[in-house]
Amino acid sequence: MKRDYFLVLVIVVGLSAAAMVTRWNDGQERDLKPQFAEEPLYLNGPAMKRLTLAFNGVAADWFWLRSLQYVGRKIVSYEDAHEGNFNLANLSSLDLRLLPSLLRMTTALDPQFLEPYYYGAFILPDLDPNEAIALLNHGIANNPDKWRLYQHLGYIYWQRGDHQKASEVYAAGARISGAPPWMLAMSARMKAEGGAGAAAREMYIHLSEASDDPTVKEMVGKQLLRLDSIEERERISRVLSDYAASRGRCASSWKEISVALRAAGLRVSAAGAPLDPKNVPYRLIKNGCDVDLDEHSEVPHR
Amino acid sequence: MSRQSADLIAAPDLADKVNPATTGVASRRVAAIARNAFREAVRDRVLYNLVVFVLLLIAGAIFLGEISAGQEAKIIVDLGLSAILLFGVFIAIFVGVGLVYKEIERRTLYAILSKPIGRGQFLLGKYLGLCLTLLVNVAIMGVGLSLALIYVKRGWDPLAARIWPAIFLIYVELAILTGVAMMFSAFSSPALSALLTFFVFVIGHFSADLKALSASMGSAPTRWVFAGLYYLLPNLANYNAISPAAHGQTPDGSALLAAAVYGLIYICVLLAATALVFSRRNLK
Repeated sequence: MKRDYFLVLVIVVGLSAAAMVTRWNDGQERDLKPQFAEEPLYLNGPAMKRLTLAFNGVAADWFWLRSLQYVGRKIVSYEDAHEGNFNLANLSSLDLRLLPSLLRMTTALDPQFLEPYYYGAFILPDLDPNEAIALLNHGIANNPDKWRLYQHLGYIYWQRGDHQKASEVYAAGARISGAPPWMLAMSARMKAEGGAGAAAREMYIHLSEASDDPTVKEMVGKQLLRLDSIEERERISRVLSDYAASRGRCASSWKEISVALRAAGLRVSAAGAPLDPKNVPYRLIKNGCDVDLDEHSEVPHR
Repeated sequence: MSRQSADLIAAPDLADKVNPATTGVASRRVAAIARNAFREAVRDRVLYNLVVFVLLLIAGAIFLGEISAGQEAKIIVDLGLSAILLFGVFIAIFVGVGLVYKEIERRTLYAILSKPIGRGQFLLGKYLGLCLTLLVNVAIMGVGLSLALIYVKRGWDPLAARIWPAIFLIYVELAILTGVAMMFSAFSSPALSALLTFFVFVIGHFSADLKALSASMGSAPTRWVFAGLYYLLPNLANYNAISPAAHGQTPDGSALLAAAVYGLIYICVLLAATALVFSRRNLK
């Protein structure tokens, strides 16, 4: 019995001593953790997939949780340092240098795991748009039937100003079974924003003909009005530029250029202002050097 | 096997009906050995791993929802199926390598083989007993995993049913691995058998790389070596359906059938090889 008490005492004292040593050790600030936290991953995705044998799914989940924790910790430490003022629009201030490789690893281990692609599409463009594009292209290669991946990729190209590529991606996504009609509309819109108005118009008309949905037809009608307006504004801008070039100043009112506007084939109001497709006069902006839709116009601005 | 099981096999009701020409009697002998191998595994507390599994699932179901950004079902399936495979591999290896060795060590094998029981029947019974243990283990874990998914979803989740083809594939993989462990244990020590079986498990999951290596090699003999390894070693990559199952994807019927047929053939080969080695082993 005495021996048992002694052994229990050894266990209790031993565990207490171990806890005390751990506490003391934790208190020694050696600044190693921050270094390790940003340590790049030594293995690439395919090598890790081989090494995890049949456990690649669990390993992917581990890297996914690690990605979430990594961003979460960065946000918490940013808020600690800046009195809780973190704005999601300012992700680049977080220094998330490890995130691309964590997401690459997650998706290499489980290419059908869609959440990391969506997460990367949301966060990576602020850090490194090329990484975001590479991640989504990897996702599309492994999940060619998921239209949302195309949507995210098209959006990134759009934000970069690459309207042609964005239009191609949206169009490719629109061809997938189950993709919503607005994917094709987005493709057309990208074409329009990229200066390919005729192609965009054709796509909108095709979309309207292929759909029985009245909301789609209404949306197409509005977008066609917008395309008409874009073309009109381009012509008006040319007239304004010519006027400015010949007079050395911009027009102070529509009246000064109403003859030229009519000559350019534009419809003009009694006051000499060009009319938009909904018969609302356009307005002069930038001291008469440019043109824009009136704020009360029913033609969509975007 | 204990002395008690040896006595059971040699029990008068069984011994009196011994007729080597009758398949039914042989089947009863094999079944008796299998039953006892199962009882022995239960007595050895092999099924205690189920407690760990249940704790793992409960912890996963409760905590993962908080940190996985809505992916708890996927993570629970990954975690659950991986645990089924991992625990199963441990049981297949560590119990499998001791099946024959323990009987020799305790000298109970002599009592059994002195009765009208062939060495092949003894091996087959032992193998089926461990397979039964694994079946119970895997089935209970599978039910636990399905219940965990239903708990997480707060209602019926189709994943709870879709994981079962993957569980079936895991079971066939474990049955193959048990055969490998038994084969090694027929001619080597338990420690070495466990190590070799673990290597086969690892290499079995590298089969795609063996095939790729064989295709990329310059010289014909090297190509043949790798191609030979690819075809001779068990192709365990065929049984890895954990990740697709976590996404609700199930292998089609032909893939399941092919995997089952391949497993059955491979198990027959392993048992034949084990019987061949064991029949030549000098037990004196």
